Amino acid sequence: MRNTDQSSSLFWLVVAIGIVLLSMRYGVGTLHEPGPGFITFFAGAILIVLSLALFFSNFRDRADRSSLWSLWAGLETGKILYVILLLVAYIFLLKPVGFLISTFLLLVLLFRVKGSYRLKTVLLMSLLVTAGSYLVFEIWLKAQLPKGIFEGII
Amino acid sequence: MDILHHIFYGLSVALQPLNLLFCFIGVLIGTLVGVLPGLGPVAAISLLLPATFRASPVASIIMLSGIYYGAMYGGSTTSILVNIPGEAASVVTCFDGYQMARKGRAGPALGIAAFGSFIAGTLGVVGLAFMAPPLAAMALKFGPPEYFSLMVLGLTVLTFLAGGSMLKSLMMACFGVVVGNVGLDLMTARPRFTFGWDILLDGVGLVPVVMGLFGISEVFLNVEEKLSGREIFKTAFKGLLPNLRDWKESIWPIIRGSGLGFFLGILPGGGAVISSFVSYGVEKKLSKHPEEFGKGAIAGVAGPESANNAATAGAFIPLLTLGLPSNAVMAILLGALMIYNMPPGPRLITSHPDLFWGVISSMYIGNLMLLVLNLPLIGLWVKILKVPYPVLFPLILLFCLIGAYSLNNNPAEVGLMLIFGILGYLMKKFKYDGAPLVLAMVLGPLMDNSLRQSLLMSGGSGMIFFTRPICLVILGAVALILLFPALPLVSRVRKRVGESEGN
Repeated sequence: MRNTDQSSSLFWLVVAIGIVLLSMRYGVGTLHEPGPGFITFFAGAILIVLSLALFFSNFRDRADRSSLWSLWAGLETGKILYVILLLVAYIFLLKPVGFLISTFLLLVLLFRVKGSYRLKTVLLMSLLVTAGSYLVFEIWLKAQLPKGIFEGII
Repeated sequence: MDILHHIFYGLSVALQPLNLLFCFIGVLIGTLVGVLPGLGPVAAISLLLPATFRASPVASIIMLSGIYYGAMYGGSTTSILVNIPGEAASVVTCFDGYQMARKGRAGPALGIAAFGSFIAGTLGVVGLAFMAPPLAAMALKFGPPEYFSLMVLGLTVLTFLAGGSMLKSLMMACFGVVVGNVGLDLMTARPRFTFGWDILLDGVGLVPVVMGLFGISEVFLNVEEKLSGREIFKTAFKGLLPNLRDWKESIWPIIRGSGLGFFLGILPGGGAVISSFVSYGVEKKLSKHPEEFGKGAIAGVAGPESANNAATAGAFIPLLTLGLPSNAVMAILLGALMIYNMPPGPRLITSHPDLFWGVISSMYIGNLMLLVLNLPLIGLWVKILKVPYPVLFPLILLFCLIGAYSLNNNPAEVGLMLIFGILGYLMKKFKYDGAPLVLAMVLGPLMDNSLRQSLLMSGGSGMIFFTRPICLVILGAVALILLFPALPLVSRVRKRVGESEGN
């Protein structure tokens, strides 16, 4: 059974090996003529050493035996996945549908993630926040939010 | 008096109506984000950064700085009233502040926190005005090898002070250097680590990274928690003014806290957080009644609150004189100055005196505003705290989404923020600190540049770092710091700080 530090150190080991390999492809160069991958190569190499050190130091230190899944015990992690899914959908809908509609829909769904408000309340809150943020960011700060299907109308 | 002349000049800049308005908006937003748990100064500043691009650089930096020290004020309010620190530097204030509130002395606790912060902020600004110019003059003599060594020192000190595992902090610093070097290589125009993603050609943007690591990740952590009702102390605010006895017990902690905070603030990495812990420890040691600490000792509020505010002033020193940020907030300000085409460094004071002295003087005025603003508005902040989290977190998410999108009207930036949000959430789960990553990311390209220039200067010999006296001293300090944690006493103290921060 690996503990949490060992699991995360393996993750960073893989990342670090990737960094080193890519840096070599970009060209490490020499001390006389450092290439584009010079500093990232060394940063990656040090990261390899450090993650190995973290992995092996946890064999010695037996105090922490908490397993990977204990980090999520008793938590509502499904809600995070749901929120991430909503945000990904928002990113893809923002341009084609426009700020006003996609934000309103996002807020309606987000307000219900942790709260148990009535639908009427949720709709009203979402409407107010969407309108308010549009006023502040688009009208006042001129942020040029995407208009989407309202292009040419507003 | 040259300094006085400069300060008067700075005041004339800071007192211009527009700059005053921006200062006011800054401290107001700062207090607000300080009050709201789950939205810290780092996220707030990166959020508002794109919005300031249309204002004058001086006004923008005045506002962004205002958010930073304003948040230190706001954080104490929630610590005292609800035992929830609004940001990390106010964790210590909970120990005695909340106990005072439970004894019906919330008023004096809030009062002394505000007055202490004001005095410390003022002393810090004076220190900044006196220390920055001579340091900048010295820094003019630095070449690429000195700068490279200084950046290595900065990152090392940061990983040492960050609390928690130094090994993990070093890992994050290495990863940060790589993230900072994503994009086109300036010398060969070859794309590095872009994976065919167009927005990465210009490098990974600081704003999406910071908002992801510090804003979105915090929301995720709160979303998975099962909600428990927050208890807000129902106490009548009779008299916010501390009485004479309170003052007598607090005045020395305030002065000591200011000094400690200022000097610890100069060092890279969590200056405000560390200094508040150190100040608390010092006051407990020096007190005639150490047994009262943790049960509502006013010195335990006055010292740390002063220390964290003085630290914010100290943190500006390395940025404005060397161009090296000492924490995540300063890293964003560095990014902002770059965008305004005013690269910070030893020449900033002479080339843009309006910016340097104007911002310093505005901090003084801002501290005054905070004092006036905070005492009567405490009732309002308490009301804001009552906004339930199910309503609050969609708002925080929305602000982050709009902030990332409006950087250059590209939904891909939002995607980048989301990726770093997920990474930040996992890093918090597995106890990795985000600050070294951000700092190394900002320093990464600068390090790359100065390292290559140094090697060019020496004709490819790494010995250049060991033959120049200033470099040698700096790198010697790096070696000492890396070996330091091996001492048993030091490792015990670091572990304690790490644990109390974790709580």
